[in-house]
Amino acid sequence: MSAPRPAAGILPAAIAVFRRELLAEWRTRVAVNSLFLFAFAVLVLVAYAVGPTRLSPEDRPTVNAVLLWIVLFFSAMTGLSRTFVHEEDAGTAAALRLSAPPSGVLLGKLLANVALLGAVTVFIVPLFVVLMGFEIRDPPLFVLLLLLGTFGLASASTFTAALVSKASAKGALFAVLSIPLLLPPLIAAVSGTQVAAREADFAAGLDFVRVLVAYDGAVTTAAFLLFDAVWRE
Amino acid sequence: MRLVAENLSRSFGRRAFGPVSFRVEAGRVLGVAGENGSGKTTLLKTLAGLIRPSGGNIKIFFEGEEASEGCEPRDSMSRIGWCAPDLSLYGELTAEENLVFFERVRGLVSHPDRARARLEGVGLPPESHSKKPLSSLSTGQRQRVKLAFATLHEPDLLFLDEPGANLDEAGRSIVQKVVAEQRLRGITVIASNDPRDLALADERVTLS
Repeated sequence: MSAPRPAAGILPAAIAVFRRELLAEWRTRVAVNSLFLFAFAVLVLVAYAVGPTRLSPEDRPTVNAVLLWIVLFFSAMTGLSRTFVHEEDAGTAAALRLSAPPSGVLLGKLLANVALLGAVTVFIVPLFVVLMGFEIRDPPLFVLLLLLGTFGLASASTFTAALVSKASAKGALFAVLSIPLLLPPLIAAVSGTQVAAREADFAAGLDFVRVLVAYDGAVTTAAFLLFDAVWRE
Repeated sequence: MRLVAENLSRSFGRRAFGPVSFRVEAGRVLGVAGENGSGKTTLLKTLAGLIRPSGGNIKIFFEGEEASEGCEPRDSMSRIGWCAPDLSLYGELTAEENLVFFERVRGLVSHPDRARARLEGVGLPPESHSKKPLSSLSTGQRQRVKLAFATLHEPDLLFLDEPGANLDEAGRSIVQKVVAEQRLRGITVIASNDPRDLALADERVTLS
């Protein structure tokens, strides 16, 4: 009989899950295609319909901030639920449940979704700035808001995807649960982005940064505390 | 080492199986028989910790811990192997990549040679597992990969649901080999309708 074995570590499991997610995505390109094509299509439509010349200078910071985060929000809604939903649909979840510590699974999938949404953000934001003539007066604040907002969207979407993955109406349930959960960081991110576009005053946007830090910390902590029950039940 | 189930049952609105009680000692093989829909698969999932029982309990007493209160399957998942028709591995990865991935998430030191040896042990030649994605293999070849997955970490408890499904005669001899190896390691539970699978068992529980 074999000797008792230590439980698998969270970090090695998370790294393995993260690598597998990226490798699978590289080979299938399902989430990448839906995320990037959706984001690009919306961006082109917005640029065509609104464009930089149809907005008055005083309206530009507000409208552009809202439009930018709408693109990022719906991109997250489009592609990030796949991470857990596909495991259940493909029947691979049971093998993962038997093999990996739950926190390692969540961390690996969260990192993969952050990487995916981060790549979309890196792709979309420069295009948005150019096509919409979006002038940013405080780039460090803008970048910080993008980092925190993207992480918050990815974190909340990943956990919500885990919650709905066993339900029958996954798509509808994902939207119903995600929208109220994602509104607080979206409001903070939009408001902070307006500040970054209006003035070069980092301190003026600090309250929104604090809201996003608190939100990201709370959602991520709650996700790790609750995930074991969600994943195994 | 011992696996003990007492008055075990599971319901999904209506009864899926049970109550059923049994005890299996190390080195022994338990066969679970029963008609389609009698709850064999649900019983195996419950024993593996993938489903909570509605009633009764399961205790696993590992070697050196026989005097303790025993562990529940959910606390012993790293020591359980499971192979079933509704188990799927990652179709976009090769068989070898699948095994290396599961070694890593289990915290085992991953080694391509070990994964290759395990796959060759279930009769898969290198050209079928090193380059082709799993989804392109035949159903029988995928069943062999599942057997390799279930025994990858040398589990103390091995649960095999319809292990001979989709396997040719050579594949069936691999099931016999897997069960023989598991006798040296711990406990095996086989759920099947096929007399050839059930013939590997020392004792039998029939679900109605």
